[in-house]
Amino acid sequence: MGSLIDLWPLNYTDSVVATGALLLGVAAGVLGTFAVLRGRSLVGDALAHAALPGVCVAFLVTGAKDPATLVAGAACAGIVGAFAMVGIERSTRIKPDTAIGVVLSVFFSLGIVLLTAIAAGDNANQAGLERYLFGQAAGLVEADVNLMAFLAAGSLGLVVAGFRPLKTTLFDPAYAGATGLPVRALELAMTGFLVVAVVIGLRTVGAILMVAMLVTPAVAARQFVARLALLLPLAGAVGAFVGVTGALLSSRAEVPTGPVIVLVGFTVVGLSILLAPGRGVAWRAGLLRRERRRALVDGVLLDLEIASHGGPPPTQAELALGSGRPERALRRGVRVLHARGWVKDEGGRLVLTAPGADAAHDLVARRDEWSAWLEHGWRLRLPDAREPDPRDVRGSLGSEAADRLAAFRAEAAA
Amino acid sequence: MNQPVPALEIKRLTASYSAKPVLWDVDATFPAGRMSAIVGPNGAGKSTLLKACLGLVPVDAGQVTIDGRPAKSALDRVAYVPQRDAVDWDFPITVGEVVEMGRYPSVGWLRRVRKEDRRIVAECLERVGMSAFAGRQIGALSGGQRQRVFIARALAQQAPLLLMDEPFAGVDARTEVALLELLGGLRDEGRSIVVVHHDLGTVRSFFDWALLLNVRTIAQGPVGETIVAEQLRRAYGATAAAKTSDDGLEELAWAR
Repeated sequence: MGSLIDLWPLNYTDSVVATGALLLGVAAGVLGTFAVLRGRSLVGDALAHAALPGVCVAFLVTGAKDPATLVAGAACAGIVGAFAMVGIERSTRIKPDTAIGVVLSVFFSLGIVLLTAIAAGDNANQAGLERYLFGQAAGLVEADVNLMAFLAAGSLGLVVAGFRPLKTTLFDPAYAGATGLPVRALELAMTGFLVVAVVIGLRTVGAILMVAMLVTPAVAARQFVARLALLLPLAGAVGAFVGVTGALLSSRAEVPTGPVIVLVGFTVVGLSILLAPGRGVAWRAGLLRRERRRALVDGVLLDLEIASHGGPPPTQAELALGSGRPERALRRGVRVLHARGWVKDEGGRLVLTAPGADAAHDLVARRDEWSAWLEHGWRLRLPDAREPDPRDVRGSLGSEAADRLAAFRAEAAA
Repeated sequence: MNQPVPALEIKRLTASYSAKPVLWDVDATFPAGRMSAIVGPNGAGKSTLLKACLGLVPVDAGQVTIDGRPAKSALDRVAYVPQRDAVDWDFPITVGEVVEMGRYPSVGWLRRVRKEDRRIVAECLERVGMSAFAGRQIGALSGGQRQRVFIARALAQQAPLLLMDEPFAGVDARTEVALLELLGGLRDEGRSIVVVHHDLGTVRSFFDWALLLNVRTIAQGPVGETIVAEQLRRAYGATAAAKTSDDGLEELAWAR
């Protein structure tokens, strides 16, 4: 680990902290992704809380704050917690979320009682155990980092080696089972990944907020990529960024690391949920707005076309009356038509210009194509799985199919 | 005379989730090279029967043979298409990757996918008309397209027996017919197909063989002899009455 620690442009202490946070971020990001995709994020939360009494018991039994011992204690307690959840779920009628709540609160309470008892005792060695609550990156030493590296490398190696069985089981357990994969064992392994991620991060992030480190990288990364093979490394990278930034900030400011990491993580997730192209809230809202506007403009154009055929060009009030559109929406639509030069005002009456009339005819033709698809589409017997875009049947199905639809329509009209 | 080996044979299968059996002493034979339907009312155990055959749910008693071999050792001879709702369609995976999953069992779960396998994947996508969608995320597909992806994955397994669980649930009529014709083509190539199905109309016109199931076997055999009023009444209970429609086909109608 020495070489990785030397790479940072920081002093030795900060470098150790940064390396630890990097390892923790990558491991929690990658391993937490499995929990998020299975819809089991809260299991991670419960496991983190369940690990706390394990740390205390390990300390009480050995009387030393050796990182490997405490991690082993945390892992044992996490595993016991995991089995408790599965056991409660399977053997009673208690629902999974309730089982998670029970295990989380009971184990955590036990952990707090033990912590308090240890603090009240006269063991001179006990100082610092309370940092397992909120986490503290400052004070990580090279031995801690070595252990984290060992655990992270081992579990990430398993993920890479077992990528396909894991992916298949995650996506479609029934199919995985039907091909003979040991689905139960693989699901157990994924819970095991969570335990590993928790024990790697417990000391740095703390039991209470560890879940954020498991969840945020996957959520943020999912906004940008749509393949598991890309999601896992990206989640690892996001986790590393969040972990390192949070750990360095917190050790500079001398505040617990967990909350700082959560705040950094929240910023990353918040930005990606808002701004990511394709899936982001802003992007989707923009899309929805454009769609609505387009539907409105098309609708007003069509109303105008129909009204113009039935008599003299209508006034805006007549158009509103005829179409039943709210006045405000109509005004907005007409304004857009004006801006495009599709409509002109002649003594208070709305008249379609030549390009406006062309646009209206084009729109009518497209609508006819779509209704021809609805009525006669089954007769096309398309050779593949293409499906038409209601606004552009010709563009989405090809000219040949559109021509045949037109022929069916003409035939039916005759 | 030498009896041909059936594609799937179920003997005295009993399965229960609690005290009440979901499947009771079910005997069923599905002939090779045919398109068979498993038909029955809701809660008849149709899906459970498929899952039990594949060892996905525990069974209390019974034997299942695939191509004359015990099912456990013949899983490589079966391609299973689960219900569409069984998976999360927002899962980060592309159409091509889902179909490639069909190659994993024969390639080896830990081995590299070879060029030959990629060719098979492309062929299977072409077969179901989804070539243009290979790089799409699965969430962007319509219901019918999703079902096509599942069928392509099953094809990629190159197994002689296809087991499909309600493949037409939530699929529009046009796509259903297109998919049924696709399955008919696979049958004509010599594959055996077993479909859990609920639409009695298309069972009559597209399937060769039917198992009528309601916890126990009600009837099985060629569709013309199985899907008849008397047997349907036994399967669906007294509320189902048969009426004869204009073209002489017996239809299931619901008496009040």
